[in-house]
This record gives sequence, structure tokens and C-alpha cells, in this order.
Amino acid sequence: MDKFAALVLVILLLPLAGAVLISFAGPYLPRVAAAVIANGTLLVAFLMTGIVALTGWQATSSGQTIPQHFAYGTWALIPPLKISFGLLIDPLALTWMLIITGVGFLIHLYSVGYMASDRNYRTFFAYMNLFVFTMLLLVMSDNFLWLLVGWGGVGLASYLLIGFYYDRVSAVLAARKALIMNVIGDVGIMIAIFLIYAHLGSAAYSDVFARVASVGAPALTAIGLWLLLGAVAKSAQLPLHTWLPDAMEGPTPVSALIHAATMVTAGVYLIARCYPIYDHAPVAAEVVAVVGATSALFAATIGCVQYDIKRVLAYSTMSQIGYMMFAVGAGAYTAGAFHFLTHAFFKALLFMAAGIVIQNLGGEQDIRKMGGLAGKMPLAFWTFLIGTVAIAGVPPFAGFFSKDAVIDAAIALHHPVLGAFLIIAAFLTAFYMFRLLFLTFFSGAYRGDGAPHDHPMVSMNVPVVVLAILATVGGFLAAPLGAALRLTFVGALHDQDIATINWPVAAGAFLLVVAGIATAYALYQVRPQLRESLIRALAGPRQLVMNAYYLDTVYHWLVEVPAYAIADAAAGFFETFIIRAIPLAASATAAALGGFARAWESGQLRRYGLTIAVGVVLLLAWYVITAYAAASQGVLPQ
Amino acid sequence: MPQVPLADYLILATVLFVIGLVGFLVRRNPITMLMAIELMWNAGNLVFAAFARNFGDMTGQVFVFIVITVAAAEAAISLAIVVMVFRHREDVDVDDISVMRG
Repeated sequence: MDKFAALVLVILLLPLAGAVLISFAGPYLPRVAAAVIANGTLLVAFLMTGIVALTGWQATSSGQTIPQHFAYGTWALIPPLKISFGLLIDPLALTWMLIITGVGFLIHLYSVGYMASDRNYRTFFAYMNLFVFTMLLLVMSDNFLWLLVGWGGVGLASYLLIGFYYDRVSAVLAARKALIMNVIGDVGIMIAIFLIYAHLGSAAYSDVFARVASVGAPALTAIGLWLLLGAVAKSAQLPLHTWLPDAMEGPTPVSALIHAATMVTAGVYLIARCYPIYDHAPVAAEVVAVVGATSALFAATIGCVQYDIKRVLAYSTMSQIGYMMFAVGAGAYTAGAFHFLTHAFFKALLFMAAGIVIQNLGGEQDIRKMGGLAGKMPLAFWTFLIGTVAIAGVPPFAGFFSKDAVIDAAIALHHPVLGAFLIIAAFLTAFYMFRLLFLTFFSGAYRGDGAPHDHPMVSMNVPVVVLAILATVGGFLAAPLGAALRLTFVGALHDQDIATINWPVAAGAFLLVVAGIATAYALYQVRPQLRESLIRALAGPRQLVMNAYYLDTVYHWLVEVPAYAIADAAAGFFETFIIRAIPLAASATAAALGGFARAWESGQLRRYGLTIAVGVVLLLAWYVITAYAAASQGVLPQ
Repeated sequence: MPQVPLADYLILATVLFVIGLVGFLVRRNPITMLMAIELMWNAGNLVFAAFARNFGDMTGQVFVFIVITVAAAEAAISLAIVVMVFRHREDVDVDDISVMRG
């Protein structure tokens, strides 16, 4: 193993080491030490990732090639099946790694302050480090099997962290819901891996992608659709998105890291990683694009009427991931990755700014009980404002460039309907984000019953400011990112250049964004009466959207009720007469045998004697009878 | 000197054995039961000796000595147990002695 391979492995293992150390040291570890370990491992991992990325950048720009693939070992379980452990560190993986470790570090730092008064402080950092490890494994793996290990691992970490406040029933239920929905996706990925193995004979990316051209489109379409099931569950797209809003039960840093910046984009990563499969399976790719664009619009409409600050952000996450999914489904992989990058900046920023507000209001999340906070919490306000204009797509903030890249791709790749969805979603995004901003920070005086105060904590403010800067300038990463990702998406059929901006489209989209902002301004700042009459006029549709189109209710009747009915029936019949009957029969048999044996153990000496005598007589009789029988056939007994 | 036929020895041994067996099963006094056991031992000894004589092979007589030795040891231990039980319970009816403890 050369030095570079060891360095890359250390990046992966550092967060795991942190998680193990914090878990095993338990209460013997001071709280400060847990925070230092968790933050330190991530900072070092980030710096090392940065070194790897810069080394790669320098080498490629000077015309050299550097190894991207590092093999560490292979074990043959059943002879034809070989599972290797290797890492693939290409520009795509590095993009994700930089966000996971970089934004992950900032969110860890933020958590030092945000979780300061929590009694499970160490557990929190252990879980967070575990999450970073599994997420890194997911993006660094060089084959589908280890990807699945990471995929399941992030699901576990997400489950643990959503249910972190385990004394709240709603949090436990939300965690369970997230786990169940993610397991549906895991099964999809497993089936995809089985199909890949059956058709392509390997699970390593390099083998699989080299052989896709030799496999028919139907098989690849099936693989692509099963992979999409996994991506849809993990990335909270239609129709498996309902866990994401509930996942906001977790602590705010968790929402920022897992349910905004990194884990929920794993589906986008998966499809971008499997671009050769989707390039050869246009039907599957089209389904990805449809799911993405529909989710983007669907979630944006729900975001317009929610009153929980974190739920609005959750729906906006789903909507923004819809953009990414559309991009990778349409074939514009670089645009999808670019939107992932900027989204990680501004969405983590929005969550963390919202976290400051929530903490300063003593845990209040309902925006109806906020308002007028701009002057009271200047830092939270300004950073939230930057995040809002970035996500809405106001130039020159990050979201403008990446969203424009996605919409450009929709037009260049001839997706008129889906492109229209995205453009409407862009309008709605601007509307609901500014609605959120106005309701939280303006719209008259403070409406809650708490005592708003600004309680600045360095460990919380620093990451927020850093992310605010990144959300401001992140859009200018388009050129280097596009140049780097060109090395990954070699031969991709429809990939689009993200560095050039289609100005007419951008201008049109920007006008819609301005319209969205203006609408929000009109309804929430200038004319609240108009808003009231609008709410009255559209009461029915509003009710529908507020309840997220009743999908939870549909799932309740479609899945939960039948499942409980089956379970009840099973409890009544199967449990009583089959499951319980088997141990009951076993115990009854044992008791009968024991009673029989016990009867012989009377302790009566004379009965023992009689038993022996009868036995002897029987044996003798048997011997005599057989001897006679043998003698009658002319054979003498021995 | 006329030879006593083998069958006579075996009949005698059988009679002795059955007397011993019935004695063991019907009596409740352990001393009497031990005597009955002794009868059965000796029925076996008689068979050994009779066959040894019949076949002119002394191995059977060797077995008789071994059996007598073992029987003596058995009798000693059994009588010791009987004495202990009697001391403990003032009674030695085997039907009452059905549990190991106490």
C-alpha cells in the first residue's frame, strides 16, 4: 500500500475511529473531549481530502494522470463470487467527500454550541461521526456492495439521530418511519445488485461500467429502476418522501447535515455514479427525470403553506433534490452535482440559521409565533437572508448558477414539460422562502409568548458565517467543478457544460424569482388582508396542500391498515394455533416422557428387583424363542 | 463312582436361583433379602462350577472364587448400610426406605 492509498484509507477511517472512541470511552470521556475528538477527526479528514483533491487537480492540470482507484484486499467467499474492498477517489467522489467532511465539520462545530445543554452530548457526537463514516464509505467505495454497506449505514445513523430525543414519542415514530422507508430503498438496491451480478458478472464499478454496452436495454432498464427505488427512498422523492418532513424531529444540526446537505443527496450520487447504466437505459433515465421534476414541483407547493420553520426547509430540500434528480435523470450529471454542492452550502446555512432562531426562542419552531426577529437576532437574520436569496436563485448567489444550470439542461435536452415544472418550482421556491423569511423576521412585531434574545455562541456563529460566505460565492465554483467532473463523466451522452450561462433563460427565471419574492412581499408584508381573503377563497386546495396531499393518509389506509389487519389475524389464529402450539406440544411431550420415567424411579427396592427379574425372563424367553426358531430351520444356536 | 449328570446341577441351580429371586421379591426385611441374594449368587456359582467340571476347564472355578470374594464385599457393605439405616430409623422395612434423603 503506497502512501496515497494509506492517506485515502485514513480519511475514511478517521470518523469511524472517533465514533468508536467516543462510544467505548462513554462517561469516562469528558464532554469537551468528545467534542474535540469528533471535530478533530472531521477537520483532519477534511484537510486530507483537500490535499487529495488539490494533488489531483495539480496533477491533471499539468497533464499527468494519478491513480484514482485503490485496492486493499479481496476475499473469495464462494469461488466465483469475489468481493473486493477498494476505494474509488475520482472527482465525483471527491466532490461529495469535500462536502461531507467540510460541511460536516462545520455542522459538528455548530453542534458543540447547539447541543451544549443536552445530556446525551457524547452519544450525539458518536452518532454524527458514525454517520460521516458511513456516508464516506458510500461515496468512496469502488463497488456496489460496499456502497450498499454505506447506504444501510447512513440509514442507521439517520434513524439513530432522528430518534435522538427518544423520550418524545413523535421522534421515535419519525425515526421508525424513516427507517422503514429507507429499508424499502435498500431492498431496491439489493435487487439491483443481484441483477447487476447476474447480467454483468461483477459488482465492481469498473467491471460493470465497462460491460454495460454488452447488455440489452431491458436488463439495464430494470437495474436502473431498482436503483432508482433506492435513490427515491434515500433522497425523499415521490412517492417515498413522507419520512423527510417527519425527520425534522431530530436535532437541527442533524437536519442540516443528514437531511439537507449530505445523506438525502445519496440518491443523486448513486445515479450520477451509475451514469453509464442510465445512458444505456433511456427509459429508466426518463423515469428519474420525471420523478425529480415532479418532486421538485410537488414539494414546492407544500412548502408554501407549512408553518413549522424546519418543515418548510424540509420540503424545500425535497424540492431542491428534485432538481438534482431531474438533472442526473436528464443526463446533465455535472449540473446535478453542481446543484448538490451549492445546495449543501445554502441549505445547511438555512438550517443552522433557523437553529439559532429556534434555540434563542427556547425551542419554538412555529413561524406563526415568530415575527419581527430581524433586529433581535441580526446574525441569524443576515445569514438566513443570504441562504434565502441563494436558494431562491438571486444572482450572484450560489443557487442562481446551479439552478440555472439545471434549467438550462432541461431546455437543451428537450424536456419542455419537466422544464416548466422546474421553472414553476423556482417561482414557488422564491415565494415560500421569502414567506418564511418575512414571517420569521418581519411581518410586524414578535407574536410568540417567549422572550426572544440573542445568545451568541462562537461555535455556532462561526460555521454559519463560513457557510454564508460559501453560499454567496459558491456559484463561482462552476468552472473548476465542471472541469474536474469531466474526468468522471467520460463519454456521458448528454452531459452539459455548467460554466456557460444561457442568459435569456437565466433572465427569464430571474424574473419569475423576482415575481415570487414580490408576491411574498405583497402577501406577507404589505397586504395581510389580501392574504386572509386568499386563504378563505382557496380554503379547499389549501387544506389539501397543507396536509401534503394526504399521502400519509393514503399510505395509512393502503399499507398500515392492511398490515395491522394481517398482523391481528395472525395474532388471533396463527399465533395461537401454530406458533404457540409447537412449544406447547413440545413441553407436553417432555412432561409425559418425564412422568413415564418418574414412575419407574419409585425408590421401591422390591419393584426394582421385580423389574430386573421380568426383564431377565423376557430376555431369556426371547433367546429361547429365537434359538428354537433357528433350530427348526436347521441352524444350531451359537 | 457314578457321575452326577450336568443337568442335575443345572436344575438344582435353577431351583436355588428361583428361591432366591422369590425370596428377594416377597420379603421386606433387608437381612432376609440379602440372604436371598446370596442364594442367587451361589446358584450362579454352582453353574460355573458344574460347567467347569463338565468341560474340564478350570476358568469357571476361578470365576467362582472371584464371585465369592465380591459377594463377601457386597455383603459387608450391605450389612453396614442396613445397620446405619436401623440406627437412623429404628426400622428396616425396605418398602419404607424409598427416598435417598432423610
